[in-house]
Amino acid sequence: MKSQEEARPFHQKTQHISIQYDGTITFTEGALFKLKKGMSLFEMHPFFEIIPSLIDEHKNTKTSVDHNFACIHLNDDDIERICDVTLTISSYGIEVLIFDYTQKYSELHTVAQQKNESILLARALELRNKYLLEKEEFKNSFIANINHEIRTPLTAILGFVEILEKTKLDFEQEELARIIKRESLHLNALIDDMIDISNIESGKLRVTEERFSIKELLKGFEKTYNKVAENKGLAFTMTYEDSIADYVIGDTTRVYQILNNLLNNAFKFTETGKVTLTASKNYQRGNKTSISFKIEDTGLGIIPENLDAVFDRFSRFNQDKKIAGTGLGLAIVKNLIDLLQGDIKVTSEVDKGSIFSLKLPFGIEIGSKSPERKKKTYTLPKRDKKFRILVVEDEESTQYLVMKLLIKEGDFFVDVAMNGEMAINFVEKRAYDLILMDLQLPTIDGYKITKQIRTKYGDKVIAEVPIIGFTANSKEGERERCLKAGMDDFITKPFEQQDLLYKITKQIAKKAAQ
Amino acid sequence: MTSSKKVVLLGHFGVGKTSLFRRFIDNAFSEDYKVTLGVQIKKKVVELPNGKELSMIIWDTEGHTDIEDTRKSYLLGSHAFIYVFDSTREETYKNINEDLAYLTNIHSKVLIKVIGNKIDLIKEKTAKDQLKALNINVDCFTSAKTNKNVHEFFLDLANELTS
Repeated sequence: MKSQEEARPFHQKTQHISIQYDGTITFTEGALFKLKKGMSLFEMHPFFEIIPSLIDEHKNTKTSVDHNFACIHLNDDDIERICDVTLTISSYGIEVLIFDYTQKYSELHTVAQQKNESILLARALELRNKYLLEKEEFKNSFIANINHEIRTPLTAILGFVEILEKTKLDFEQEELARIIKRESLHLNALIDDMIDISNIESGKLRVTEERFSIKELLKGFEKTYNKVAENKGLAFTMTYEDSIADYVIGDTTRVYQILNNLLNNAFKFTETGKVTLTASKNYQRGNKTSISFKIEDTGLGIIPENLDAVFDRFSRFNQDKKIAGTGLGLAIVKNLIDLLQGDIKVTSEVDKGSIFSLKLPFGIEIGSKSPERKKKTYTLPKRDKKFRILVVEDEESTQYLVMKLLIKEGDFFVDVAMNGEMAINFVEKRAYDLILMDLQLPTIDGYKITKQIRTKYGDKVIAEVPIIGFTANSKEGERERCLKAGMDDFITKPFEQQDLLYKITKQIAKKAAQ
Repeated sequence: MTSSKKVVLLGHFGVGKTSLFRRFIDNAFSEDYKVTLGVQIKKKVVELPNGKELSMIIWDTEGHTDIEDTRKSYLLGSHAFIYVFDSTREETYKNINEDLAYLTNIHSKVLIKVIGNKIDLIKEKTAKDQLKALNINVDCFTSAKTNKNVHEFFLDLANELTS
């Protein structure tokens, strides 16, 4: 059915007006606007005030000239019409023809509104996305910096506690040292959580694949958590199906982290009863297998309305401040499981406990029965004089820690360079068996110094000296960056003293064997 | 007698031409975005420092991403063009120098002013740096929302048109 507007006859949608050069109306026909002879058209609407300037442009023209204006909003009293207007200027005066296309233009308006709005919305979303990405980048760089700033003093604390533990301590001192170590390790674990969640969210975490034994991993948990259970007066049982593949291909670090976080969580919220870890084969087809893990506890449990948010970041449903944590543990678990393309479910009953059931996919090597490669052992080559090590480090506490550790071993002489220039100076004057290179140094960083050592000197003693990078920056890809710069190995702060000694021994032994 | 000058607002859609128009004419502002179809025309009489009056007839045209799509009839008999862009959206100003060259080419005697609107959404220094990098000269940064520089700009323009 046509609207009232559309139903008007065409002649009712037009108006013909004749005016003199001064705007005075001499003739009008039509019902669009209430106009009378003798009125000034210029006063009817400001649009018509353009006419004098057009007359000026054409005052010397003898033929008539048409000007067409489309889509002009004209209003008379409260009625607005959208019209096309034709002005014909001749030596006799001006003819004005107005065509009312309000209906047609209103329909176009709706289309234009939708089109422009969608473009502006898309742009707004684009800007929002850009803003969020910049914010995320800032957050990640902030976390990376904070990580570095916290880990540096933590390295010194943990290192000196380890040294302190090996001295003669009375019972109380031993207990205090143990508490300092425990709390420092806890702080270190919290930083690891922060870095992990930051890496996961920025998509920087990569899955690495290696061959490892799930059964050995589970036995390791059995050993560790039996002690935890014993200390807390709980029972802990670990069982697995024999049919699980002996060796699988997957990201052992992440699998360890997932199960460790879940076990840690179970023990944290269980005061009486037991915690169990079970593993069973879900399926094994061709070179693929899926393993189900179940971590069950008899702890506090989770109320049903909180179950959906259990894997959200910073979710801490238990407000007991004695139970420490950032609320990131389960969020990391969920993100890691997603990254490994696994699946996790949780069921829980308040005061009865929780069950976390997860399935993880792995690869398997068909027909291979060879055992997991064991960590190779190295010994320092025999020689009369001690090994000379250059420690390039600007942090006084770390210098002192490394010096104390190495000198105590009895096999090493240690020189310390505070910065890049000093390091180069030392390297040019003395032959070193190994360099421990901090990466973040004032003026020249550790990567640049390494490149210089590797490329600038023709002397093989200098150019081929083993270099181990060490830093508080545990960003993904840092190891690769070090190797690319020419280093032989990499260690993060805080480090286990045995790890550092192992890496130093390994590099010196390898160099001697060449 | 009050003289009159025709001033045309030009620029991309969504840059705030109608908001500037409404802010100047009616001292009003609305967050709702309503597309302008064709052109709406209103006038405002301003008092000049010399005591005289000027009737500014403002043509608020529909926005186009390409200036050449603007109906040429809207530009006839103009005394000034105000090219408005959105200070937060580069696509509304990155081709500004080409657009101004086009306008100068077809209307060499018309005064042209460039306005960076929505300056309440971005730091003025950031906007200036971005425009400087693109070699774009801006006459004024405005905010129709907060009324920053709107009336001052039109009054300065009125002065320039009558001097």
